[in-house]
Amino acid sequence: MKKKRNYDYARWIFVLPALLIVGILLIYPIFSSLYYSMTTKHLIKASYKFVGLNNYKDILSDAKFYKAFLTSILWTAGSLAGQLLIGFSAALAINRVKIGKGVYRTLLIIPWAFPSIVIALSWKWILNGVSGFVPNLLVEMGLCSELPQFLSDSRLVFFTLIFINVWFGAPMIMVNVLSALQTIPQDQYEAAQIDGASRVQQFRHITMPHIKIVVGLLVVLRTIWIFNNFDLIYLITGGGPANATTTVPIYAYNMGWGTKLLGKSSAVTMLLLAFLLFVCVIYFTVISKWEKEDK
Amino acid sequence: MTNWKEKMGGAFCHLYLIILSVIAFFPLVWILMCSVKSSGELTANPTHFLPKQFTMENFTHVIHDLGFALNIGNSLLIALFTTCIAIVISSMAAYGIVRFFPKLGALMSRALVATYMFPPILLAIPYSLVMAKLGLVNTRVGLVIVYLSFSVPYAVWMLVGFFKTVPLGIEEAARVDGANKFQIFVGIVLPLVMPGIVATAIYTFINAWNEFLYSLILINSTDKMTVSVALKSLQGAEILDWGDMMAASALVVIPSVVFFMFIQNKIASGMTDGAVK
Repeated sequence: MKKKRNYDYARWIFVLPALLIVGILLIYPIFSSLYYSMTTKHLIKASYKFVGLNNYKDILSDAKFYKAFLTSILWTAGSLAGQLLIGFSAALAINRVKIGKGVYRTLLIIPWAFPSIVIALSWKWILNGVSGFVPNLLVEMGLCSELPQFLSDSRLVFFTLIFINVWFGAPMIMVNVLSALQTIPQDQYEAAQIDGASRVQQFRHITMPHIKIVVGLLVVLRTIWIFNNFDLIYLITGGGPANATTTVPIYAYNMGWGTKLLGKSSAVTMLLLAFLLFVCVIYFTVISKWEKEDK
Repeated sequence: MTNWKEKMGGAFCHLYLIILSVIAFFPLVWILMCSVKSSGELTANPTHFLPKQFTMENFTHVIHDLGFALNIGNSLLIALFTTCIAIVISSMAAYGIVRFFPKLGALMSRALVATYMFPPILLAIPYSLVMAKLGLVNTRVGLVIVYLSFSVPYAVWMLVGFFKTVPLGIEEAARVDGANKFQIFVGIVLPLVMPGIVATAIYTFINAWNEFLYSLILINSTDKMTVSVALKSLQGAEILDWGDMMAASALVVIPSVVFFMFIQNKIASGMTDGAVK
């Protein structure tokens, strides 16, 4: 009896430190934020009072919040579509070519390693409206009559940001799809070719069923990441020009560290979390349905 | 006919991949090129690729005059401590999940995916309040603690995939010989998954080195700043000198890229295996 109990303790020791970290650093802050979201907590002032759902009411009647929310949705949908398209097609292309697979893979993976500040600085410099490489090149080639302002023209800036996010995020999709593609048994393709299946048919009936769970998971992870992303937009445009690129995380940051209203800012982030939870429930329902179909 | 079509398809793939490679690779090359050009050349010849005159001026200016060496030291220290602590905790947890909690394991993996969902901006508010209470605002210790919040779940997740590859038979043999759990873990299992642990450690290091938001919120004095925030503040300082900024960027991005090259083959399996299988 006693021996069995010792056994139980020992195995808990392995997972306890990690559980503590998750509990203290992730679970506690959520409840703490939930609490502060119902107060007038200020970044500097010490006193604050409980105001119930007032912060939520204020935010949900702020037109700027809805605009930030819409910007977030567009930014996420645009970036995700671009990353999937480029990442997926690059993976298929690498899988198909016979020479240079490793070289392409190594070159294409590089953006993934970039810190967001370097992504921001390098692209801001490349696209700089005065001495930037790309605007000047476009003028020299005669494609533009004057230097295009990729980062300050309100019609262009959103697409520029999405381009940069695709540049950064597509490699992750590519690498994961590529490794999933390599798990597909080659004899299935050979059999299909003998039966006279076209490349498109092979893709639909052999490739897709094999990799759709990995792709589904990637879509979930990328959606969360892009939706939550603060660094890229903050560092490249700071939410401007004229709030044109203010997403929900930027809106929350400005509220918490700009106007110093931490209580309200917490309410914004709780709404953000609630929305993500909702999206994830939908995604996971779909993925578990796929998993069942496989069995 | 089919053969010709196949060849055309292959050629098209190469063309596509070459274009993508150029776009993917260009910023890194451009940072390196611009970091060794003089400020005059940067503005006079925006589209000239190779430097006409090679200069290390930008690097010496950034490191000596702007004190960037100190920021590199801070980031190095913070990333190293974060990585060491996270890897010890996470490899124990990953092993525990795989070996002792097979049923709970699936649930724990899901829970880890869920933590990925927490917006960093949400966590930033309680972190700054708690750190202020503990007197850890503007300290490197405080930043290491906060960095564990994203590095531990991620490392556990990656490591679970690697620990699953260890066959149970080897451990059984050791158990029969009288070894206890910790002896088996340290003496037998760890050496077997070492390549996976190294890859996870490198990835953890890169993520800590690259981090921006928490560092922005928790650190406010120049001598404690990490490279990301120091670079950001460089951008706000007096006159914008792109030569300096490219030199500083090169110093920040090169370690990340070089480390990333070492683990590029391990990274994909680590990221999806832990959750999928």
